[in-house]
Amino acid sequence: MKGINLKSDDANAAARGLLARGMEAGLWDAALVPARVPAGDSYAWLLLRDAAALERTTPLPPVMSVSGARALYKLARHGTARRVVAVLRPCEVRAAVELYKREQLPLDDIFLISMDCPGAVPLKDYVEDPEAGEELFGKMLAGVEEPGREICRSCDHFSHTASDLHLGTLGVPEGNVVVVPASAAGEAAAEKLGLGDAGPVAEWEAEVEKRNASRREAKEEAHRALREEAAGPERLAATLGRCIGCHGCRSVCPICFCRQCYFESEALKVPAANVFARAERKGAARLPADTFLFHLGRMAHISLSCVSCGACEDACPVQIPVAQLFGLVAANTQSLFDYEAGRDRAEAVPTTYYREEELAYLSEPYVEARAPEGVGADG
Amino acid sequence: MDEEFEPKLLYILCSWCGSGGSESARAHGLKYPANVLPYRVNCTGSLPPVHILRALLEGADGVAVSGCYPGDCHYEGGNYHARRRVALTKAILEALDLGEDRLWFRFVAHGEGRRFVDTAAEFNDHLKELGPNPLNEITTT
Ligand code: SF4
Ligand code: SF4
Ligand code: SF4
Ligand code: FES
Repeated sequence: MKGINLKSDDANAAARGLLARGMEAGLWDAALVPARVPAGDSYAWLLLRDAAALERTTPLPPVMSVSGARALYKLARHGTARRVVAVLRPCEVRAAVELYKREQLPLDDIFLISMDCPGAVPLKDYVEDPEAGEELFGKMLAGVEEPGREICRSCDHFSHTASDLHLGTLGVPEGNVVVVPASAAGEAAAEKLGLGDAGPVAEWEAEVEKRNASRREAKEEAHRALREEAAGPERLAATLGRCIGCHGCRSVCPICFCRQCYFESEALKVPAANVFARAERKGAARLPADTFLFHLGRMAHISLSCVSCGACEDACPVQIPVAQLFGLVAANTQSLFDYEAGRDRAEAVPTTYYREEELAYLSEPYVEARAPEGVGADG
Repeated sequence: MDEEFEPKLLYILCSWCGSGGSESARAHGLKYPANVLPYRVNCTGSLPPVHILRALLEGADGVAVSGCYPGDCHYEGGNYHARRRVALTKAILEALDLGEDRLWFRFVAHGEGRRFVDTAAEFNDHLKELGPNPLNEITTT
């Protein structure tokens, strides 16, 4: 892997500088970047057409208030006809790639820049005390604090992704930022921008690999602990029991793009007789109904594309570990098809194709002409 | 094992070979357990996992899916897609320890009445052994 050295001791300043140069060089007509909101208690996505306006942006903000993939989708789902550069966290890039593969987000005119991500501060904590949030994020960036959000602590995709250019800060000597072209468009842009000499790529790669190894362990441990806490009918009921059915987790999920969500549709608006039948069968029927169905069904719809971005968990008003549950399930469904959400733009989503010779184990072994208990030919 | 326990078994059949299997069974005078509830879908490829989940959450002790053999699906690869979706559904159930072995998938040909009733009976026995679906005990699903 080759990389270019961008002299800077601040990843945000480096990204802003790169965006400004690109816009001035005519590479991009507009930039999609987060900026702190006027009240200072969160960040929001802004589309900027003028390089001078980049001053007030924060390409790598402490919180992920809205997934960048969702912001990009809102802008570009039907194309932009203008060249847009977006600076995203690695999980946001991967979500954008999943949307692209699901034919929801054309990327022809979109240039994606990703940055090494130290994790995010829980959104609620930040909104409550922005200064404490900024301080924690500073420590996360310096590598002296673990990521604030639990889902980030077991993230093993915090660096280089399927973006066009990646900015690496981990492990590189102070005052340096490594720029890694990660696609043909990225190579061309790097050349046009006239970026400098080879950067300390080896150091960066070594640090990423080291951190990844420990994160993979953390992830395994987190999944083990979560299974202990939430797996099985009783324990899952205890975990989901406080769900208020607001569907906020679904509204903010970058992958849930359906115009008409099944779980808001007529299909689930059951008549009273159905609820009475449930009450009779189980002794009681919960209302609103179908809490399990909503979560398990959403897992069936999108766990193959879940990128463990944590937006759902940040949104949940009753602190259900939604992203961790989805992450646990996604690990199982994605590995089943040797798939990794957002890894590669060319890799098809597993539900869109099949292989004839696969999954033979699924055809349950059959004992020919077994005489069924108590039943048989009546003639 | 509870001798009294009669599982509620939903048997999802495509309208071609799956249902054909049940028709052949009838033609040969073969019977399947009375607690098996056949549920016909056009093609197993048109079966969304949510329907399987809904059945398992709302009263079924087990769900079996039978469609045409490889190469026989009347809508090209519907059966292969179904197999992927069943595998996906099982992976979800497995990750959350919700009983992935309550979901079966098996190809049945139009003329295989015997295979159809055997599968129903075999799955029925399997569910008797597993006992009632604990999801049915949870009032807050
Ligand atoms: S839960 Fe399913 S139906 Fe609803 S928006 Fe997400 S993918 Fe679409
Ligand atoms: S389910 Fe949650 S963690 Fe997964 S992609 Fe959607 S919002 Fe992100
Ligand atoms: S955001 Fe939380 S409370 Fe709302 S539906 Fe999702 S899990 Fe339930
Ligand atoms: S028609 Fe039988 S599985 Fe498709």
